[in-house]
Amino acid sequence: MADKYLVEPDVEFIKDLQKLGGDTLKKCFQCATCSVACPISPDNKPFPRKEMIAASWGLKDRLVGNADVWLCHNCGDCTALCPRGAKPGDVLGAVRSYAITEYAEPKWLGKMVNDPKKLPVLLLIPVIIFLVLGLVLKIFGVDWLNFSPAGEEIAHSKFFSTWLVDMIFVPLSLWTVAIFALGLKRFISDIHENALNEGKTDKEKIDAVGFVKALGRVIPTILKHNKFTECGENQERATSHLMVFYSFIGLFIVTAIFFVVLYVFQIHGPYQQINPVKWLANVSGVALVIGSFLMIKERLAKTDETSVYKDWYLLGLVLGLGLTGMLTEMTRLGGAAGISYTLYFIHLVFVFNLFAFLPFSKLAHLVYRTVAMAYAEYAGRK
Amino acid sequence: MAENSGTILVVGGGISGLTVALEAAETGYEVFLVEKNPYLGGRVAQLNQYFPKLCPPTCGLEINFRRIKDNPRIKVFTLAEVEEVHGKPGAYDVSLKINPRYVNENCTCCGECAAVCETEISNEFNFGMNKTKGAYLPFEMAFPARYVISPQIIGTEDAKRCKEACKYDAVDLDAEAKTLNLKVGSVVWTTGWEPYDASKIDNLGFGRYPNIITNMMMERLASPNGPTKGKILRPSDNKEPESFVFVQCAGSRDENHLPYCSYICCMASLKHATYIRERYPDAKIYIFYIDLRAPGQRYEKFYKNIKADENIFLIKGKVAEVEEAENGNVTVIAENAVTGEKIKQTAEMVVLATGMQPTTAAKKLPADLKYNMDGFIINDFDKGGMFAAGCANKPADVVTSNQSATGMALKAIQTLKN
Repeated sequence: MADKYLVEPDVEFIKDLQKLGGDTLKKCFQCATCSVACPISPDNKPFPRKEMIAASWGLKDRLVGNADVWLCHNCGDCTALCPRGAKPGDVLGAVRSYAITEYAEPKWLGKMVNDPKKLPVLLLIPVIIFLVLGLVLKIFGVDWLNFSPAGEEIAHSKFFSTWLVDMIFVPLSLWTVAIFALGLKRFISDIHENALNEGKTDKEKIDAVGFVKALGRVIPTILKHNKFTECGENQERATSHLMVFYSFIGLFIVTAIFFVVLYVFQIHGPYQQINPVKWLANVSGVALVIGSFLMIKERLAKTDETSVYKDWYLLGLVLGLGLTGMLTEMTRLGGAAGISYTLYFIHLVFVFNLFAFLPFSKLAHLVYRTVAMAYAEYAGRK
Repeated sequence: MAENSGTILVVGGGISGLTVALEAAETGYEVFLVEKNPYLGGRVAQLNQYFPKLCPPTCGLEINFRRIKDNPRIKVFTLAEVEEVHGKPGAYDVSLKINPRYVNENCTCCGECAAVCETEISNEFNFGMNKTKGAYLPFEMAFPARYVISPQIIGTEDAKRCKEACKYDAVDLDAEAKTLNLKVGSVVWTTGWEPYDASKIDNLGFGRYPNIITNMMMERLASPNGPTKGKILRPSDNKEPESFVFVQCAGSRDENHLPYCSYICCMASLKHATYIRERYPDAKIYIFYIDLRAPGQRYEKFYKNIKADENIFLIKGKVAEVEEAENGNVTVIAENAVTGEKIKQTAEMVVLATGMQPTTAAKKLPADLKYNMDGFIINDFDKGGMFAAGCANKPADVVTSNQSATGMALKAIQTLKN
């Protein structure tokens, strides 16, 4: 560490963190209780005490590209023991939220995703895309969006063709991947530079093979939510988070299988309920609804934890996704065609939101935290 | 309506109360000094040494006791508590409950009653670290110099034995609590402080591990009249510890406990370091702190001397966790906020620098007084008549308490003059 360090506070950065849920950050008096209270903080350069002073001094460069803020799982053990009510857990949450919008381009879209006033616009974007694309295709004689689907059997593809769905969502997935790829390129280089500056690693360069191996080693930890369960204060949260986490994995598997079934085996849905893949879909859907409902309930019950728009946007979206998905299926089986088609449309709007804005929303943590954990493993943080 | 009275009531016979009583009486005013314990001297009496000069408490208290003894204007009530206060500045009606001591003024402190008494009771003067007989002298220089018979043995054979053993007819087992009504013109509350209950600080392990003690327990251990006769021995096995950890701000400056700085704990721990250095020149002492506060030039000098000592290590970082180590040792965990490393320091004894909580935090006084959020009495000088001095008003060391006591003695006198 240099003997002299000129602090150049970024006041706007401090204000932004305060708005993003870190309004208590200035209360910290650097007693370092939090670094010890944290059950998952390493022994060498532990967090979050050093992050608290960096936040207080507006040292943006020490926080945004700092992998440690992602190692934190916001369990709240630090906040519970904090003698000043500075809520380090919430401050780190705010830093993560800031970092997400910093790494996801275009930045204006990130701003929109985090602005409650822009929510109607976000919901309107998929509606417009669906309708315009469907109507334009009609002009060319391709009838993939049919507002009066006929026939006895309710099949959502008769209303909103699977081809149209994929025509929108396959490129959308690529867009998400591309934004993440661009963000990660900067992110990985930043966290490595930060680790070198702060003496958190002895690795000079990132070796790709070693990094991928480290990633392999942290995957089981993530799958088992080991870091979550080390938590003292907020342990019940691990259950609801696991439910949502596995339901997304389940639904991803279901989507992948049916994608293959459709394109390789040319078999169209709806698929029968006795199909084991359908079981997985149903179980996942129910888990998604219950898990996200529990998460909302737990968040409302925790009065010492700050919840801001970014939290509610994601939780609302996930619950909405689960509910509309399950209700679409139930109304289809119950024969309520009109309601079912409407719900399906809303469901697609939610799915679009989740996919398109994934790199800009709080859900991006699934990528950044995974990478940060892999990096910590690679760098030998202990 | 009560008539105006020229007398001052002082509630609490610790260093502040003694000072108020003496300052007022020596300028010619009548004083009632009320103390709930069977002895005067309060917390200072429990110390091994006290600031600023590291005198033993005998040094300051003895001269004060002498002054009280010689001053006919001071009337002392021990084992007494104020039950009610009514009236206005200049004219208060006070009712006092005086609990029986069961020993009258014939007592010569011969100790025969204690010798025959078989029952042993927890010695609260030593924070329960040893036991005392059911008939006891609170400490050698207790004032009034008279034995006390604990209510716990009243009605037992032991009590009878004590009475029979007394050659001076000083044991009066039939004594009963009585109520006394006093008329006073002003009241000074010097009700002092309690050490914060360390067992409430979950993460610091007090009560879980025997070798974690509090700073006031350290005073008793170091004190020649303490449970170990001044040897600092650890509770689990009476070993002379070779290493010590001090945990500063144990419960102070903490919203979950006492939100304020208790003012004395930093200096107390630095002072304890000198106790240890005297006794065990090779012992290693680790002091974990958030900020070390050594107010004023004298304390600053004291701190600088400690800092220069090569066996004393000052580490910036609050201890947030403790765990059991081998042989009864304790490991404390903190982050060194200067180097950014998590430290695990094992020591043979751990001292929690617990803070002071006003006595009035737990139980409000039976008088029309204002308190701040932490239970300290707020002085309302516009209203006047009743004042708080010393640690009843704010956390303070002996010097500051005495300054405050002198000031409030003057306020009490001015109330009478008006």
